[in-house]
Amino acid sequence: METFELLLHGFSVALQPTNLMWALVGSVLGTAIGILPGIGPALTIALLLPVTTALAPTSAFIMFAGILYGAMYGGSTTSILLNTPGEAGSMMTALEGNKMARAGRGAAALATAAIGSFVAGTIATLALTFAAPAVAELAFYFKPTDYFAITALAFCSVAVVMGTSRTRGFVSLFLGIAIGVIGIDTMTGQPRLTFGNMQLLRGIALTVVLVSLFAVGEILYVASRYRSTPGVMAPIKGQLWMTKQDWARSWKPWLRGTAIGFPMGALPGSGSEIPTMLSYTLERKLTKHPEEFGKGAIEGVAGPEAANNAAAAGILVPLLTLGLPTSATAAVLLAAFQNYGLQPGPFLFTSNPALIWGLIASLYVGNVMLLVLNLPLVGIWVQLLRIPRPQLYAGILVFAMIGVWGLAGSWMDLTIMLVVGLGGYVMRVYDFPIAPVLIGLILGPMAETQLRTALAAGQGNPLVLVSTPLSAVLITLAVLLLALPILLKRLRANA
Amino acid sequence: MSTDGNNTTEGGSPTAAPASPKPYWIGIGLMVLGAVWLYNAFGLPQGARYAAVGPGLFVTVAGAGLLVLGAVLVLQIWRGESFVAQDAEDADGATKMDKRAFVTALLAVALPIATMGPLGMPFTATLSFVLVANAFGSRRWWLDIIYGGILACASWFLFAQLGLQLGRFFPPLGV
Repeated sequence: METFELLLHGFSVALQPTNLMWALVGSVLGTAIGILPGIGPALTIALLLPVTTALAPTSAFIMFAGILYGAMYGGSTTSILLNTPGEAGSMMTALEGNKMARAGRGAAALATAAIGSFVAGTIATLALTFAAPAVAELAFYFKPTDYFAITALAFCSVAVVMGTSRTRGFVSLFLGIAIGVIGIDTMTGQPRLTFGNMQLLRGIALTVVLVSLFAVGEILYVASRYRSTPGVMAPIKGQLWMTKQDWARSWKPWLRGTAIGFPMGALPGSGSEIPTMLSYTLERKLTKHPEEFGKGAIEGVAGPEAANNAAAAGILVPLLTLGLPTSATAAVLLAAFQNYGLQPGPFLFTSNPALIWGLIASLYVGNVMLLVLNLPLVGIWVQLLRIPRPQLYAGILVFAMIGVWGLAGSWMDLTIMLVVGLGGYVMRVYDFPIAPVLIGLILGPMAETQLRTALAAGQGNPLVLVSTPLSAVLITLAVLLLALPILLKRLRANA
Repeated sequence: MSTDGNNTTEGGSPTAAPASPKPYWIGIGLMVLGAVWLYNAFGLPQGARYAAVGPGLFVTVAGAGLLVLGAVLVLQIWRGESFVAQDAEDADGATKMDKRAFVTALLAVALPIATMGPLGMPFTATLSFVLVANAFGSRRWWLDIIYGGILACASWFLFAQLGLQLGRFFPPLGV
């Protein structure tokens, strides 16, 4: 029952008026960027990282969590009404949701998405509440060897799962690792790959790379292949809400989606794309109305939307307990922790319980806020889509520039923004996954430290890397993972 | 580390574009990048005194990885690996590249390198705003100057309030 007490304490933190306000700011911002094209949760949090200098960590993370959850709610709205999934996680929602909207059932689709998101978000947060302390407890016993094995497994799964081929996934990952070694070596003080440039000594910040890849790369890419005829928005005014039958057909997919999404979100690399895909496939198999699939089946909206939100909670488990980011958004959140000089992991649970439990409690609060914000107010949110695209993308570049320049006022960062931004453009044209770069960049230095500590303790014998049961299992898994693409290809073919 | 060498089954999606691009330069570029990292790694101690592995090891791994992956990519391209541009929310991967729009947007990204320091953030941001809007087909540049100017000035004041160091408002006038 200790967890329960800690959670109650967390609520006392999260319900303070200022923190409630930040949760609201995060939820509103998250919903907005979920609806707007060209800007997602990872980019938004990266651009907001500078506020960490002015804000207390608890408030900042409560706001960031609101953005993370809010983006999942907002993303479904555009998928359903416009058939433009803003991120990979909403792709499956668009499949059935937009068909429903075209058939005059948009209101019901939006409702099952929002309520499903709420149900899944709440259950997943509950699971997080109890899973996180347990994992953190275990992590106390982890040795550097184990941590290295975990990062190695994360590397392999991220590279294998994200993207169209293993080679391209690994290219992205190694680009991130290569960028990560630039700067002063933390263990010996040696400058590495600085080419004699003083400004490169402190390394290349995650924010610069992330903003360049996500914002600049996207702007260059969309500008070069701009489709200026926007989709037609399906009307929702005066439509029938969820009927009794809709409820009956929705609640099971919600629960199944949650059960798939939460554990999958906790695994590195699966992000939100695979759980939603799995949930969709499962619902299509289990449904009593197979003839409706492809024409607007409500199960096909309810399941993936729940999986999507549960996965968002899932990524917080490895992040908070092991300091292990499993998605681009988690990588930025880790960078935010590092900005405060905090290292997520088992010790954070004991050294800073107010932060951890305040954050977890705020997830419950945020979910309620998001349900209220999204269900009745959806008509207001879609007005955001009226912002003309030229000015929207121009505005995104302005914020990207501020985010990069505001870090250190260095023209070197602006130059990196141009070069990496061009890289992001090329990656989009030739279909290389983006997230592995960020995972490599932020996990690379961590893997290196653990590897060198482990090897130093083992007096240089590489066998030390598989000396504990856990590390042996994890390294084996990492090797096995390389065979996964074949399985995944089958799954994709079925979906 | 995996070298991931024999991906014989990859690529070749059923609806590959008729003239699939052969971007050998990406593979070669990765190999060059890997070589630079490797070359630098040789200048670093590989095994320091107390740590069994020195600062050079990871640089070596990164460099070697990129070199091998670049070579694998070249091989895959030679075998006919297809590259299909990603679809984005407002972009169609199948359309032809609009070079003029791309260059205009690129100019907007490059501009800050030259003007951010001497002319300040609000001025630079306004100019970049107008350029990007133009790349996306906005032709009312005077309106974009107004929109961009308001956004740039407002965010300069807001972020300065938050404690961000964005430099002076307009350095030529010393404000």
